[in-house]
Amino acid sequence: MKIRVLLFGQLAEASGVSELEMEGYADTISLISALQERFPTLQQSKYMMAVNQQMVSENTKLSENATVALMPPFSGG
Amino acid sequence: MKEGKPKNIFIKGAITASFIAESIEKHSVKKNIGGHSIFLGQVRADEINGKKVSAIEYTAYEEMAMQKMHEIREAVFEQYELTCMHVYHSLGKVAAGEICLFVFTSSAHRKAAIAACSELVERIKAELPVWGAELFEDNTHQWKVNQ
Repeated sequence: MKIRVLLFGQLAEASGVSELEMEGYADTISLISALQERFPTLQQSKYMMAVNQQMVSENTKLSENATVALMPPFSGG
Repeated sequence: MKEGKPKNIFIKGAITASFIAESIEKHSVKKNIGGHSIFLGQVRADEINGKKVSAIEYTAYEEMAMQKMHEIREAVFEQYELTCMHVYHSLGKVAAGEICLFVFTSSAHRKAAIAACSELVERIKAELPVWGAELFEDNTHQWKVNQ
């Protein structure tokens, strides 16, 4: 099961990537813990999460080809 | 004027005065309008620890931002008696002194236009997945925090 992960702003900067593919994670908790292992700076970062462009705050099941975005606090305008 | 599909709100670089002027001019054919309200966000040359901000570089989760803006647009149209609404946000580098956000509402009467414009600006800053990096004159940067 492929998941597309997007990182933005300071998260992309700190991890050095803005987009990656992860495989084999059924929900956001397992995905996040794998991402934290790969990018330790994520553990201290403040961010919100969107699954297929919908904001989520609780553990969310992921389906094939889901897009998960990790987003630091917004600072547009 | 309600629209069915998300619109692209992003403009590469600064929003020019001529773009804003043209946008105003286009409304002269809409004779049911009695008042416009316009908000222009401008990049400020803040001084932080002795270093001056020379520009802000904006990035966004564009697809989601456009979808979110579509939802905000629909909600604000529901709430206020508006004739039309236009929102433009810069992406990429915008120098200090240049315009990075243009929010334009029109209505038969001023109160709806002013209130809707103000609400839009607040919601844009709070809800759109857009990020600004403040670039300093010495080529370092820090991430902008909205107040």
